[in-house]
Amino acid sequence: MREFLLLIRSEEEPKANLSPDQMQQHIEKVGGYLKKLTEEGRMKSAQPLEMEGTMLSYKNGQIVDGPYNETKEIISGYYHLMAKDLDEAIAIAKQDPRFEEGIWRMEVRPIKYVEGIN
Amino acid sequence: MNSQQSKKANQLTSHFFRNEYGKLVAVITRYLGNAHVETAEDIVQETLLKATEHWEMKGIPENPKAWLYTTAKNLTLNVLKRKKYQREYESQTDQKSEMNEIGFFSDELIEDSQLKMMFACCHPSVSENSQIALILKILSGFSVSEIANAFFSNEETINKRLVRGRLQLRKVKIDLSLKFDIDKRLEAVLKTIYLLFNEGYFPASKNQVIRFDLCLEAIRLARLLEESTVIANKTACSALLALMYFNASRFASRVSDTGEIIDLKEQDRSKWDSLLIQRGMQHLNNITLTKTITKYSILAAISANHCISESYKKTNWDEILSLYDQLMLLEDSPITQLNRSVALAEVKGVQAAISTLETLGKESDINNYFLYHFTLAEFHKTNKTFKKAYSAYNRALNLAKNPRDKELLKKKLNTLVLISPSQLS
Repeated sequence: MREFLLLIRSEEEPKANLSPDQMQQHIEKVGGYLKKLTEEGRMKSAQPLEMEGTMLSYKNGQIVDGPYNETKEIISGYYHLMAKDLDEAIAIAKQDPRFEEGIWRMEVRPIKYVEGIN
Repeated sequence: MNSQQSKKANQLTSHFFRNEYGKLVAVITRYLGNAHVETAEDIVQETLLKATEHWEMKGIPENPKAWLYTTAKNLTLNVLKRKKYQREYESQTDQKSEMNEIGFFSDELIEDSQLKMMFACCHPSVSENSQIALILKILSGFSVSEIANAFFSNEETINKRLVRGRLQLRKVKIDLSLKFDIDKRLEAVLKTIYLLFNEGYFPASKNQVIRFDLCLEAIRLARLLEESTVIANKTACSALLALMYFNASRFASRVSDTGEIIDLKEQDRSKWDSLLIQRGMQHLNNITLTKTITKYSILAAISANHCISESYKKTNWDEILSLYDQLMLLEDSPITQLNRSVALAEVKGVQAAISTLETLGKESDINNYFLYHFTLAEFHKTNKTFKKAYSAYNRALNLAKNPRDKELLKKKLNTLVLISPSQLS
């Protein structure tokens, strides 16, 4: 088993325009999917991120706060997932029902692993 | 793993968000004032959004209601604080004490606020086509696009109605402690609920689910009225509920698998929902004990007669016709006459119904209504006066505005042509 980090990306807040009924459906669908993966021991952690925060960078000898990324796309949450290999991680990610809403992108990245160390 | 699986997951009741949306907007508007209903809507949308973000990842909390109420309360207090900075003089001490004493979202406050909102939305100073849109948006938690879908309209039109409606709502003041206010306005509220139900009841090939939702919403709103403690005479509420339960029981049988409308005559009666019929009967029984007779009581009794009959043929048409005669005493409208003519055709024959309708057409402007010509066409078809049926269907087709109705009429015309080409020429 290898570890993966799945970054959920979206433009601004895509759920803001869903109707109350659609939000409830979203919770039921995505929540059910995550619950199943958690019960199987595959999902180590799944967290939403606040739509705030900052981008620190080092410029001219000091740490600068902001500006935030130029692109409108931000990371709105992440999954920490266990899978056999990248293919399996991708296959699991594809089953996320949030894709049915067509407003999400997901980055699937293996967590770096060095034989014998971690 | 087994222990995790056996752990009972919290689940949301169906339409939980939609219903809570209505409750929260109603109460928050009470705090912010009618002029700020849109701010209240925004607060609640944000509350539900926060819930969505947390619950999808972390699961549904043990007490989802409390979670929503706390979040909504905090967001509302933030807005109230901001306002206080701008307009210090607006310190409404009455409301502040209300908040502290009985809790921000107490059951009592929710019930009272929802009723107030319902009466406000149906106030005569709010234009009629804004009323239903406002109710669906504010009290029922439908989105603009859902309302547009349900009404075969577009988002722009619905938005305009909402904007106008919210402006008109600013001037409305409803005091539920005044019995006068309630009695005077109840009729308008019931009328709007019945309109809402009928919007959902006419079948369409598309959006079946959302349209049945309109019917359920109408029933939910009527139940709020029936359960309320401030309305003294609830005969009309119970009667309307009975009527809606009876009509809703036939919902599944009214549309074929391919989305076509099925007449009462041809419906598969085994598909009728016996539980809803039972509920209708309970409400009907409750009102037979009272002395008040309302339009809805008679309509419910008519619908009940259909519900308990094993076939169209065996329906007690004599009883239904006499109920229509009673209804005419209360509401002698062309529409009532039109509906009565169907029962008349069964009791006195189709020829009698045709001549009644022809007289009606001369005396009123109902001949601008497509259903008048549709009904007349059906009678002519039964009477085998096909040429007249053909031209009546055509007039109906010209007058029908809704694509759904046009489609049905075209089909009727086509079958007529198929059945009897020689008789038409």
